[in-house]
Amino acid sequence: MPEPLLLQLQAIAKNFGGVHALDGVSFGIAPGEVVALVGHNGAGKSVLVQILSGVFQPTSGDILIEGKRQVLTSPVAARAIGIETIYQTLALADNLDAPSNFFLGRELRKGFGFLDKKSMAEQAAIALAKLNPNFKNIERPVRDMSGGQRQAIAIARAIHFNVRLLIMDEPTAALGPHETEQVENLIRSLKGKGIAILLVSHDVRSVIDLADRIVVMKNGRKVGEVDASSATEDSIVDMIVRGRARDIAA
Amino acid sequence: MTVTTARPSSWFALVSPIWIVLLGTIVIAALLSDKFLGTTNLIAVLQQVVIAGIVALGMNIVLIGGHFDLSTGSIVMMAAVFSLLIGPAGFPGVLLAVAVPILAGMAVGFLNGWAVYKARANSIVATIGMQFLILGGTLALVKGQHVRAEEIGPAFTAIAHARIAGVPFSVIIFMALVVLTSILMTATVFGRHVYAVGGDHEAARRSGVNVDRVGIITFMMSGALAAVSGVLVASLVGLVDPTAIGRYEFPALTAVVLGGTSLAGGIGRPADTAAAILALSVITNVMTINDYQYPLQLMVQGLLLTVAVAFYAWRQSRGGRT
Repeated sequence: MPEPLLLQLQAIAKNFGGVHALDGVSFGIAPGEVVALVGHNGAGKSVLVQILSGVFQPTSGDILIEGKRQVLTSPVAARAIGIETIYQTLALADNLDAPSNFFLGRELRKGFGFLDKKSMAEQAAIALAKLNPNFKNIERPVRDMSGGQRQAIAIARAIHFNVRLLIMDEPTAALGPHETEQVENLIRSLKGKGIAILLVSHDVRSVIDLADRIVVMKNGRKVGEVDASSATEDSIVDMIVRGRARDIAA
Repeated sequence: MTVTTARPSSWFALVSPIWIVLLGTIVIAALLSDKFLGTTNLIAVLQQVVIAGIVALGMNIVLIGGHFDLSTGSIVMMAAVFSLLIGPAGFPGVLLAVAVPILAGMAVGFLNGWAVYKARANSIVATIGMQFLILGGTLALVKGQHVRAEEIGPAFTAIAHARIAGVPFSVIIFMALVVLTSILMTATVFGRHVYAVGGDHEAARRSGVNVDRVGIITFMMSGALAAVSGVLVASLVGLVDPTAIGRYEFPALTAVVLGGTSLAGGIGRPADTAAAILALSVITNVMTINDYQYPLQLMVQGLLLTVAVAFYAWRQSRGGRT
C-alpha cells in the first residue's frame, strides 16, 4: 500500500467575482517529495499558494492533509497543521527586528499578553545561526539587512515550528549564485527529513533539478504533471506555453 | 548563548531627537524668562499638556498602526457634554459621568476602526466624516448651546483639581497613561502586532496577526483616551463649548508628528509623543509669559508641524532611521 499523501488537492476552484482564477486543480504531495508548480505569471500559482496558506478559501474543492479534509480558515489554521509558506516578498515587517519577525503571529509570552523578548531573541539567534553563521546584529530593523539575511529570517521561521509542508514561492529568484546554492542544499536536507515541499516558480530551469515531479499550470488549470526524471526543460516550457502536453512518444 | 544586540549607527539614532528639542526649548524658555522655572509655572506647563496629551497618545497608537484618527476633537467634546449632562454629583452620578463618556468614546472608535479596517475606508476621510457626525450629533443634543451641569459634586471636580504633593491629579493621570501606553506598545503582544500592522499589514496578516481586530482596538483606544480627555475638560471647567473641537486635536496631531511617529505607520513611541507635547507647551507658555498673542502662537505651532514633517521625511529619504 502506498504511503498516504501528505497533501492532496481535489478539484480546487477559486472565483473572484466572475473571474475563474483556479479551475479544478488536483494533485498531491507525499512526505519527502519535492513538487514544482510552474506556469506563467497569472497561471494561478500564487492564488493556489494563498489558498494553501489560509489567506484565501477555495470557492469549491477539498484540501486533504494525510487523507483528512481540512478547512484552512486563516494563516494561523494553516500553520497549526504544519503548512508553512515562504513568500517571494518574504512577508517581513521591515520596521521590526529579526526576532520580532521570526515570532510574528506566534510570540512567546510571559503571561498576561506580555512578550518574552529574551527567549525570543535567544531562540531566533540560534535558529538563524544554523542557516547563516555570520548573521550578526539580529536586533535591528530588517529593512537595514541584506537580501540574503532577510531571506534567512523568512526561511528560518518557516522551518522552525514543526513544518510538514513547506511552500516556497520563487525561492531563488532574488538570490545570488552562492545563496541559491545554499537554498538548494537546504531543500535537499528538508526533503531528507520527510518534509513535503512545493516549489512555485515561473522559471522551470530553477526548479527542474530539485523536483521529483512537476505540475504545470496555465490560465487557472493544471495542464500537465510529469516526473522530473523523464521530463526535459524544453518539453515543460512547451507545456507552459501551449497549455497541453506535446504529442510525443515517451 | 549571548545575543548580539544592535549597535546604533550613531548616538543620534539612540535618543529620539524630540528629547533634545524638549531640552532645548526648556533652556531657551529659561533664558527668555526668569519666571519660567518657577514651580507654579512649571506645574502650569504640565497642566496645559494633559488634555491634548492624552488625545495625542491615542492618535499615536492609531498612527503606529498606519492610520489617522482625526475624529478625536469631537470625541473630547462629546464626552465632556455627556459628562455634564449626566450630572456628575453623588453616587452613582460621578461614576456614570466618567464611565458613560468613555464607553461612548470606545463605541465611536469601534465605528472608526470598522470603517477603516473592515470596509477599507481611507482613515483620513472616514474619521473627518466621523468628526462632523459626532459634532453635529452633539450640537443637536444640546441645541447648539454651551453646556453646564446643574450640580457638580466635589468628587468630580477633584478629578482635575485635586493635588497630590502639589501635583495636579490630572497631570498624574496623564503621566500614568504615558507609562501604560508605553508598556502596552513595547512589552505586549498587542503592541508588537500594532507595529507589525503599521509596518506591513499584508506581512502581518500572512504571519497570522489578526489585523482587523488589532486595528479596530487601536481606534477604540484612541476613542477611549479622547473621552478621558473630555471627562477631564468637564471636571476642569464645568462648562463646555461644544464647537471648540479643534483646540485639542491640532496640538495633539502636531505632537504626534513632532514626536517622530511615521505618517506611514510602524514607527513611533508614546513617550516621544509626550515629550513633543511638553515641548509645545513650553513654547506656548514662554510666549504667553512674554505677551506674544495667540495668533503668533498659532503660527509658531503651524511652522513647527510643517518643519517637523519635512525634517522626518528628509531624514528618511537619506536612508536614516526614523
